[in-house]
Amino acid sequence: MAKRVGIVGAAVTPFKGKWYEKTYYELAQMATAEALADAGLEPKDIDGVFYGIYNDIFQRTCIPEHPLQGIIGLQNKFGMRVSNGGATGAYTLSAAHAYVAAGRFKAVLMLGVEKATDCFDFQSMSATPEVIKTIGWSGDSFFEQKLGWTAADSYAEVVLAYKDEYPGDLKPEVTAQISALLSEQARSNNYAQRQFDQVTPEEVLNSRIVVEPFKELEICVYSEGAAALVVAEEETARAIANQTGQPVVWITGVGESNEHSFAGRNHKIMHRIISDHIAARKAYEMAGIKNPLQAVDVVEVHDAFVHQLEITMAEMGFVPLGNADSLIEDGLILPGGPLLLNPCGGLIYSGHAVGASNIMSAWSVRNELIRRRLKTGLVHGTGSTIAQYGVVLILEHD
Amino acid sequence: MSNKVIPLEAIPDRSGHTVTIDGRNYLVMNDAMFTFYQRSMGELSDFFLALRDEKKILGCRCTKCGMVRVPPFVTRCPDCNFAPVETVEMGDTGKMLATPPITYFANSLFQQQVPFGRGRLLLEGADTALSVNIYTTKGILVPGLVKKGTEMKVIFRDNRVGEITDIFCVPAAELTADQLAQKGLTASALDWETSTEPALPPAGETEAQHFAAVLQELQALVGEMNGCERARKDIAGWHRTVLVKAAGGEFTLKIADGELTVEPDKTGPSDFVMVCPDPKVLLDGLAYRGSLTQAIMTRNLWISKNIEFNTIFKLERMARSLARSKKV
Ligand SMILES: [Zn+2]
Repeated sequence: MAKRVGIVGAAVTPFKGKWYEKTYYELAQMATAEALADAGLEPKDIDGVFYGIYNDIFQRTCIPEHPLQGIIGLQNKFGMRVSNGGATGAYTLSAAHAYVAAGRFKAVLMLGVEKATDCFDFQSMSATPEVIKTIGWSGDSFFEQKLGWTAADSYAEVVLAYKDEYPGDLKPEVTAQISALLSEQARSNNYAQRQFDQVTPEEVLNSRIVVEPFKELEICVYSEGAAALVVAEEETARAIANQTGQPVVWITGVGESNEHSFAGRNHKIMHRIISDHIAARKAYEMAGIKNPLQAVDVVEVHDAFVHQLEITMAEMGFVPLGNADSLIEDGLILPGGPLLLNPCGGLIYSGHAVGASNIMSAWSVRNELIRRRLKTGLVHGTGSTIAQYGVVLILEHD
Repeated sequence: MSNKVIPLEAIPDRSGHTVTIDGRNYLVMNDAMFTFYQRSMGELSDFFLALRDEKKILGCRCTKCGMVRVPPFVTRCPDCNFAPVETVEMGDTGKMLATPPITYFANSLFQQQVPFGRGRLLLEGADTALSVNIYTTKGILVPGLVKKGTEMKVIFRDNRVGEITDIFCVPAAELTADQLAQKGLTASALDWETSTEPALPPAGETEAQHFAAVLQELQALVGEMNGCERARKDIAGWHRTVLVKAAGGEFTLKIADGELTVEPDKTGPSDFVMVCPDPKVLLDGLAYRGSLTQAIMTRNLWISKNIEFNTIFKLERMARSLARSKKV
């Protein structure tokens, strides 16, 4: 019988466009110290660590986690790195959950960190082209990289294919409204990279197209930062909660799916993000959720691009495929609507410190569940080429 | 273009600098992580050698379920408990599996190729799609030109090295029947010169007056640019004669190694044609009030050769340089 697993502590560092003041060592230690303090624990109380670190090139080293083991005070204990593209953080949660549920550990740390913008392009004397180039090494190395594969054009492939099927959906006015809404929500996130970058739908509509149909203000911003969670099995979790006075937030559903990276018959269906669909179905089944729109109060969806956010929400069953615009048009995510979507501002405004991002999302869902006394939350991660990876976790207030 | 796997101009000097934040100094070092390879194409060698040496595209067919995969990325069919596959030669025409995205802003590795499309081509008889670059011979690549289901022809580059970039695609509708039927059609056999100009709206007195006013302003702006050292540097060594057609009139934009001139009317042969129904679009772009790239993407500005997007980039850089030098 699997053990119940709950979150008993969480912390994030500020997400910033550039952390001149800190290396990833210090960011990792900062998030760890604060997450442990939040749980009222010390390193000696932790049995092991799951690292979410996406890209070796960003950290400018292979095995980037090895120096961290001692830096966070967990020398001589279990340590394992997870790396799954954009979905790294969510997959880290999935791995930590499985080990604790299996009874291997009483309490573990999940630590996501990324130093994404140390990369620098000396021809344009700016970081962004080099960041994009670095992520560009993630495309298929035999058949795609040399064609100019980028994360943006890869996700654009999926979005354009979706629009081939549903030309009336993902209307520019709606994606602009969603972006503007997220920018408003970021205002209350003290750790967000763009906490005070509020934009109007008009500003989003008028921002430049980066890769059609993505506009500059509809794309997540690359970030540097760290996020950490402490999870524990039921007995330990309840004991910790008694000490801290904070309720346990249980991980009641987990689902993952990786699609084919080639497209065609029996392969990737370009106009779908089936990975998100399957991951959500599995997580709902485990958590006993029949109707997500009824059951879920708060969602932190991995918004690499607003258009993908909309498709993901449809794939996860909140709105019908082909009418994802009802998120706005039926007021589902508007203030006062039934669903709180990306209260942290999403990765578009909070920032995308890749390995830390989905862990930051879980931190946000936990905060909202506790602060607003809500029952059920959902954390989502997407990643890899053509939105190939999908991970969904259900979190529930005690 | 450098012949090295890393362009020399992309490599920084060995040095560092200091950034001061809240009175504390932080050291920022120029650095690189680099690895060179002699990478075997292994079981994929046949595919790349066929591209390079025979101008042929290979796929593989499962001996059990008959699924045809292109490129041949497996040697056994994972859907049939790893039944063996056999190599098949594919044709070089097919349809787009979905509408492909177009990249206008690329990182330094792909700056020479923009704008380019990248999409998935379902070759005739194939079940999986091949990732391909997409170009047009009829002007600049803009959204809407190539869509889901568009018939495409694979074109082989004249200088092939055994990489996926040895091929690209153009819409079949741009080719003659002979070209379509020809196997292993090469890039040099295509007509890159005859583009299809978008029609200008009918122009009256208002448009002519607007054109004259814009031209005057443009001449003043060009004068400023020629006086700006930074802007001049952006077109150093570059020579182009551009015929600009707008509702209300035509003029010639000349780029000659640092010097930019605007001359009324057509002044002889041009390297390419620019069509902008409203000439203010070009003026605004050069005055750094708008973006020429954005104008191209939204079809308010058209150029007759895709490769001349490089010239557009240089003009945009000049606009930025002038704007920046004015700020100082
Ligand atoms: Zn088969």
